[in-house]
Amino acid sequence: MEGELLDRGIARRAARIYLPLAITAALLFLVAASVTGEYTTVARVGGAVWVGTLSLIVSMPVVTARAKAKARRRE
Amino acid sequence: MNPSNLAKNSVTLAVQGMTCASCVAHVEGALTDLEGVTAAVVNLGLGTARVTYVAGLVTVSQMKRSVREAGYEAQERSQGLDALDRERQAREEEIRRQGRNLVVAGGVGLLVMIGTFYEMLGPLRSWIPEWLSYKWVIGLLTTPIVLGPGRQFFTNSWRGLKHGVTDMNLLYATGIGAAYGIAVINTLFPQARFGGEGATFFESAALLTAFIVLGRWLEALTRGRTSEAIRKLMKLQPKLARVRRGTAEEEIPADEVQVGDLLLVRPGESVAVDGLVEEGYSAVDESMLTGESLPVEKKAGDQVIGGTLNKTGAFKFRATRVGKETSLAQIIKLVEDAQASKAPIQKLADWVAGHFILGVHILAVVVFVFWFFFGYRLYFDPDSSFIFSPYRLGEIGVFGFSLLLSITVLVISCPCAVGLATPSAMMAGTGKAAEYGVLFKTAQAIENASKLQTLIFDKTGTLTRGEPSVTDVLVYGETVAGGLTAQDILRFAASAEKNSEHPLGEAIVRGAQERGVEVSDPQRFESIPGHGVEATLQGNAVLLGNRRLMSQRAVDIGDLVGQAERLEVEGKTVMFLAVDGRPAGLIAVADTLKEHSQEAIQRLKRLGLEVAMITGDNARTAQAIARQVGIDRVLAEVLPQDKAEEVKKLQALGKRVAMVGDGVNDAPALAQSDVGMAIGSGTDVAKETGDVILIKDDLRDVVVALEAAKATMRKVKQNLFWAFFYNTLGIPIGAGLLYPVLRLVVSPELAGAMMAVSSVSVTLNTLLLRRFKPSFHSGRQQQRQAQGPEQPRWVTEPAAAD
Repeated sequence: MEGELLDRGIARRAARIYLPLAITAALLFLVAASVTGEYTTVARVGGAVWVGTLSLIVSMPVVTARAKAKARRRE
Repeated sequence: MNPSNLAKNSVTLAVQGMTCASCVAHVEGALTDLEGVTAAVVNLGLGTARVTYVAGLVTVSQMKRSVREAGYEAQERSQGLDALDRERQAREEEIRRQGRNLVVAGGVGLLVMIGTFYEMLGPLRSWIPEWLSYKWVIGLLTTPIVLGPGRQFFTNSWRGLKHGVTDMNLLYATGIGAAYGIAVINTLFPQARFGGEGATFFESAALLTAFIVLGRWLEALTRGRTSEAIRKLMKLQPKLARVRRGTAEEEIPADEVQVGDLLLVRPGESVAVDGLVEEGYSAVDESMLTGESLPVEKKAGDQVIGGTLNKTGAFKFRATRVGKETSLAQIIKLVEDAQASKAPIQKLADWVAGHFILGVHILAVVVFVFWFFFGYRLYFDPDSSFIFSPYRLGEIGVFGFSLLLSITVLVISCPCAVGLATPSAMMAGTGKAAEYGVLFKTAQAIENASKLQTLIFDKTGTLTRGEPSVTDVLVYGETVAGGLTAQDILRFAASAEKNSEHPLGEAIVRGAQERGVEVSDPQRFESIPGHGVEATLQGNAVLLGNRRLMSQRAVDIGDLVGQAERLEVEGKTVMFLAVDGRPAGLIAVADTLKEHSQEAIQRLKRLGLEVAMITGDNARTAQAIARQVGIDRVLAEVLPQDKAEEVKKLQALGKRVAMVGDGVNDAPALAQSDVGMAIGSGTDVAKETGDVILIKDDLRDVVVALEAAKATMRKVKQNLFWAFFYNTLGIPIGAGLLYPVLRLVVSPELAGAMMAVSSVSVTLNTLLLRRFKPSFHSGRQQQRQAQGPEQPRWVTEPAAAD
């Protein structure tokens, strides 16, 4: 039980890092697509969602693993 | 406290849910992160993790929890045939599960494909209802594929992500999910400009799932076959034993036999445990353990091995080793340990594959961004199509096109073949070598053995039999010796030595008995320490000893001295025989070569290896043996503690060195060498120290070991080449590198098919190792018949005719 609570804590701490990272990447894409070209709204939003999803997939394990390692070191 | 100073335990966990090399890295990481765990080696093929840990600092429960946290299931692995049966059941269940998935995904996927390409089916269309080509029907057919057989990829990848782990399930899930998602949007909202109805990738999602499931099914089908060696060995363990206790004979379970029990074995029965024959005579088939094709004769005093099969006669034997101590149990443990270990080349492959998936996702972002902002505008052609497909990309928009290439990169990059390449070949190689009586203790031993340049052989007990035997019998001359023959010389000498306890005397008695010469009791016997013996035999005064003894007793051996010196140059010990004060002949005794030493050395030299001999013996004897066996480089008069130094010197020259030995004094050199090979008949210390154990007392198995190692590593390299070649070639093509020139792209389903072919080709290539046969093995019987056993030279002609 204690372990699960600890895990949830780590997951929350990690989410506070990787979610903003992924959203930032998606927003950057959206801005770039809006500024540079004549893309449709669907393409811009769809692209931003895809880039955001991939960024989330990339950052989520890296950040979670680091948060876990940091928590273990503290233990 | 430094854990390395504490006593270590080890435990093997059965880990479920691992599918690729990145899983291996994650599980190893989860275990080694724990305080108290000093090492963790995960074997993907076996689905095991061998953990070395310091008891008290960490518990097995903590290890299991840590593995579970990483997104996998772990439990302590049980031992024995039952455990293997459970593992086989689990594997069969996995085969059935993936088989069911394949039937659904393949069957319904075929309908999706027919519906998608309806317009291109020509006259066949009259057989197919048109509604099958409606997008919403195709969508309805695809949905159960994605949510049924495809669901495993989503649940597994989500479980991993939650714990900060990415594996290849994530690649599949992203690929299938994106293809399905965009198809649903394009079907429900065709005006959304995602490519419209012309770009509904339902068939991509359906066929991609089908191909991945096909790969999983084939993998499950072939994966277990490489570990059949252990199953075969375990099946050799007899279940029952016939034991005599008191006057009664009873059948009891073999694992209840105790050391000291007297066991009975009838024709056709298996030997239950290791022991020593006390009574009876038979021929026992030991091929299952030693690879020796001919049955081995067993008589009182001979050792029998548990698990071997009695052929002809009946015998009784006393149990000497039972349970986990039997040779068979030790062999099984060694093979298991070797299969659970990891070669350096595999560690590198695992590291690459472990970091690969994140890299691929980053690449997928790069590919998407490139094609979205630049590629589509510069190169897109509505008439372009998929490779191996007449299907046009048509009105697909910038988002749909970029997404398509991004998904293809994800699917085509899956490193599952990389993860299987090394462990599957190692498992097959160690198993195959064990069948021929060669036990590799670790995967690293196989890798090292495949790169050897120099082999050093210990002399006594390794190249030679390790005990003196009669090599030459020379008669002085009929006139002088009164018509004595070589048999007479041997009879006189053996009878005189009958009561001797000197090794040379024992060798003469044994030599006479082996040749059927009658050995009688002397009427009088006197040992003359350091010189020889004096005896009276059937009224004749017999004197047997060295030159000094002959000289003291005024026996003129002048004419025999020349012959004696020639034999001494060959490293033999010469004893002169005088009968009634007159010289009669001489007998030479030496440590003789083992039956196949010469043949093995010749073979090794033909393989281009440098062969040396190391011994503590004097240079003359060493040179003589080296000449006989065909070794040019001799390291003589080397003290036991200096043998390792000699190995070190060769290693310092940059050579990869193997030491082949049998004795306690060889242990340091066995440990120092890159590969220590211990002869099975040797001491326990040597066998514990060696990296490779040759079960039979046959030096040709050194060649077998090298051939098996080379064949295994060849297979590993082939597998790695094909696995990396596929990714190296597939990723740029998948990313659209050829599109500007050829206007062709790889569809996600083709990428899925290529991925499946890649991992299946690796496992099938590994299975070819089952055909491995050592070069000696095929011609062994014929060679034995042609050569016959090595015989001593019998010289019946007068040695000195004058």
